[in-house]
Amino acid sequence: MLVAGGALTLAACGGSGRAMRIEHADQTGELLANLLITVLPTGRIVLVVNKAEIGQGVTTGYATLAAEELGVPLDRIDAQLAGSNDELRTNVNMQMTGSSTSTVEGYKLVRHAAAAAREMLIGAAAAQWSVRAADCTVSDGHVVHDGQRLAYGELTKLAARRDVPKTPTLKSVKDFTLIGKRGARVDARAKITGTAEFGIDGKVPNMVHAYIVHGPVFGSSPETVDAVAAKQHRGVIDVIVIPTGVAIVAEKYWQARAAAAEVKVTWSKGKVAGLDTTKMADAMRTYTSDGVAVADHGDADKAIGHADAKVGGVYEAPYLAQAPLEPQNAIVSVTGSHAEVWAPTQSPTITQAYVSDALGIAFEDVKVHVFLAGGGFGRRIIPDVIVEAAILSKRVKRPVKVIWTRESDMTQAQYRPVYAVHSEGAVKDGKVTGARIHCISQSIAISGKGFFGGALSQLPHALRTRILDGLLALFSTNSVGDIFATEGIANTPYAFPGFAVTASPVQNQLPVSFWRSVGNSVTGFAMESLVDELAVSAKADPFALRRSMLGPTSRQTRVLDALEKLSGWSTPPAKGIGRGVARHLAFETEVGEVAEVEIVDGRIRVKRVFCVVDCGIAVNPDIVRAQMEGGIIFGLSAALDQEITLKDGVVQQRNFDTFPSLRMHEAPEVIVEIIPSDESPSGVGEPAVPPIAAAVANAIFNLTGTRLRRMPLQRAYNERGGT
Amino acid sequence: MKLSVNGTTVEVDVPAQTPLLWVLREEVGLTGTKFGCGKALCGACTVHVDGHPKRSCVTAVGDVASLPIVTIEGLATEPELHPVQQAWLEENVPQCGYCQAGQIMTAVILLRTKPMPTDAEIDDGMSANLCRCGTYPRIRKAVHRAAALMAGKVGVTP
Repeated sequence: MLVAGGALTLAACGGSGRAMRIEHADQTGELLANLLITVLPTGRIVLVVNKAEIGQGVTTGYATLAAEELGVPLDRIDAQLAGSNDELRTNVNMQMTGSSTSTVEGYKLVRHAAAAAREMLIGAAAAQWSVRAADCTVSDGHVVHDGQRLAYGELTKLAARRDVPKTPTLKSVKDFTLIGKRGARVDARAKITGTAEFGIDGKVPNMVHAYIVHGPVFGSSPETVDAVAAKQHRGVIDVIVIPTGVAIVAEKYWQARAAAAEVKVTWSKGKVAGLDTTKMADAMRTYTSDGVAVADHGDADKAIGHADAKVGGVYEAPYLAQAPLEPQNAIVSVTGSHAEVWAPTQSPTITQAYVSDALGIAFEDVKVHVFLAGGGFGRRIIPDVIVEAAILSKRVKRPVKVIWTRESDMTQAQYRPVYAVHSEGAVKDGKVTGARIHCISQSIAISGKGFFGGALSQLPHALRTRILDGLLALFSTNSVGDIFATEGIANTPYAFPGFAVTASPVQNQLPVSFWRSVGNSVTGFAMESLVDELAVSAKADPFALRRSMLGPTSRQTRVLDALEKLSGWSTPPAKGIGRGVARHLAFETEVGEVAEVEIVDGRIRVKRVFCVVDCGIAVNPDIVRAQMEGGIIFGLSAALDQEITLKDGVVQQRNFDTFPSLRMHEAPEVIVEIIPSDESPSGVGEPAVPPIAAAVANAIFNLTGTRLRRMPLQRAYNERGGT
Repeated sequence: MKLSVNGTTVEVDVPAQTPLLWVLREEVGLTGTKFGCGKALCGACTVHVDGHPKRSCVTAVGDVASLPIVTIEGLATEPELHPVQQAWLEENVPQCGYCQAGQIMTAVILLRTKPMPTDAEIDDGMSANLCRCGTYPRIRKAVHRAAALMAGKVGVTP
């Protein structure tokens, strides 16, 4: 396993690795410096990116880190997505893109790998010139010494003979020339010319296509299937029943799709037959039992008992689909006891575990190639579609490509869990004295049986043996409650004199999983709405009240100060505009947002959002801005309109007409400021999401006096249930 | 049947009711046009048919067999970029990039009818195209920039 910041080597430092490196260089002219960096004889650099590119810009970020250490322009780096490789398991002992950790990891790993390659190249040139390596520098892909220059491409064979430095010297922050500057995305051109190859565009020889008909209720299986007519369709190879549905397999996707309309299926009841989200929400809203204590400082009960004023209520959030625009898809080829996967996945490791378990083959016999993904938002961590393709390939003995319909993507769940956050806050003598918060949610830790240690006995075998240690280490940080139920509340930076947080899990058979910013997507809403209620009750300015609980020198206060200025908070908003502020710390990044809201014919319109972010060093500030803009708009779609509801077990939303996503005419202007920093980078893919719902709800209160405590806010506003 | 795609005539053997999207992707081999929803709700599959934006996921191929079809691959001949693509590049628009072919194809038509669109006209012209990554603020800027590029009011930024 590779440890962040540890030595990256190729088959260890010396011995066979060295011999192999020399042989490879002599044959090809390529310097395989380490697992991440290859220097080509042309002087171009191939960089292996051990992450999924889901739009967050990791290929550009990693290319920037490598280019910085190697002293080459960004466009000389060719970034390639890594396939499954045990040596590249950097995220909780997995290859996984999640928890906004990619740049955090890469800032050490990629720079380390690139600096090692640079030192090998310098060493080679210095030896050639018989000068000291310390007297050489690099510039534009050359090693330079006293007027002499050698291009990297000319040095690869010599460099291959040098030891791989274990502790290469990294550039200091003050010497950065690329990191911190606006750089064009390395993948932009391919994406605007239609040449970028996403998972759905993948092809392998002899491949067939499968269109899958899923049941009406999650987990329902086919009981009877009439496929006589479908099998007569041109191109149809077979109609195959799998545990999750009926697959029409054909030479072309359009043939399978056309034939699918003629398949008649009756279904078993399904795992969530009868589930009704309205009843579930009612039960969670009125639930009164004590939960498991997660945080307890001071005396929250006493603070609330002695308060002059108590505020708060039940903050609620629905199930949500991630709905990335590229529907779930995968290609799998099973031959004997081996499987090869080509898919836009957020985790090769979890894919290996699921596929090996489904086929009863060894973990290491599943090879995964990672494709560009049309959005992820957490949906591509659980490889359910890949398992379907694997089962089908084993049956038809050819590579099978599965493309889900939008309807399957939306109804075959891996949803953000439902939440009810029971919250009380206390004010005495104009000061906040305490808060008591009970987070009730469907537990991701327990639900993700294939993923987490919540239900050990049901873990797929390969997961149990391969990655459980890492996961348990992750969960040991909060072994009594579900970490995702209370993250963002239990660890709040606010210093409440009395503070108690408890958690209770709600379970059913509908799987829940990761959705951009995970628990923070709800806890940010609850906590920042509660703090706004406290400010109103204490008759305090919401910025001033927050600062009073955060300390004058904190990152939080620095962000709030900048946000107050950026948003022009001291100037009252125009008539008809309400303004709200919220902040949240997630994935080590602090984000503050001010939303300006109006209500036009009953429709909540967010006109403008100001955003200040402290994410340490912004490797590419323009991508940080893009992630703030995008995170705010993604979060706003959920805050205003989106929900997945079930009636009698059936998901009511099937496509973008009933699961609306914000569009151009409703997208706010977003103004972003990045706090200058010399600290190591922290996450940027997710942290813009948590504050936006509260900023909007607080703005609606500011405008109307109505406190909305339930998402989606538009429905709550229409029903006015929240006051 | 014969199709005219990006100025080239191609022969395809498919039933007339097959959606143009899948004919382009699987028979013609042009995968830049994307499948997002299958119901003309997201715009990822937008192509030009006889100079009009069409949702290829709900367009029967038989209905467009005699008409010129342009896809994202046919907007410009590499290494040239269409001014709209150039503007997209300069504004660093794409995130995941999956919707962008459809966004660009829609913007090209918008700019043909409204060479200097206002914000309200961009709202009208672009709001049928979904972007889950939330690149709308940059798309708006890029449409304005493309308008300026096409009018010769600004030069190309390398």
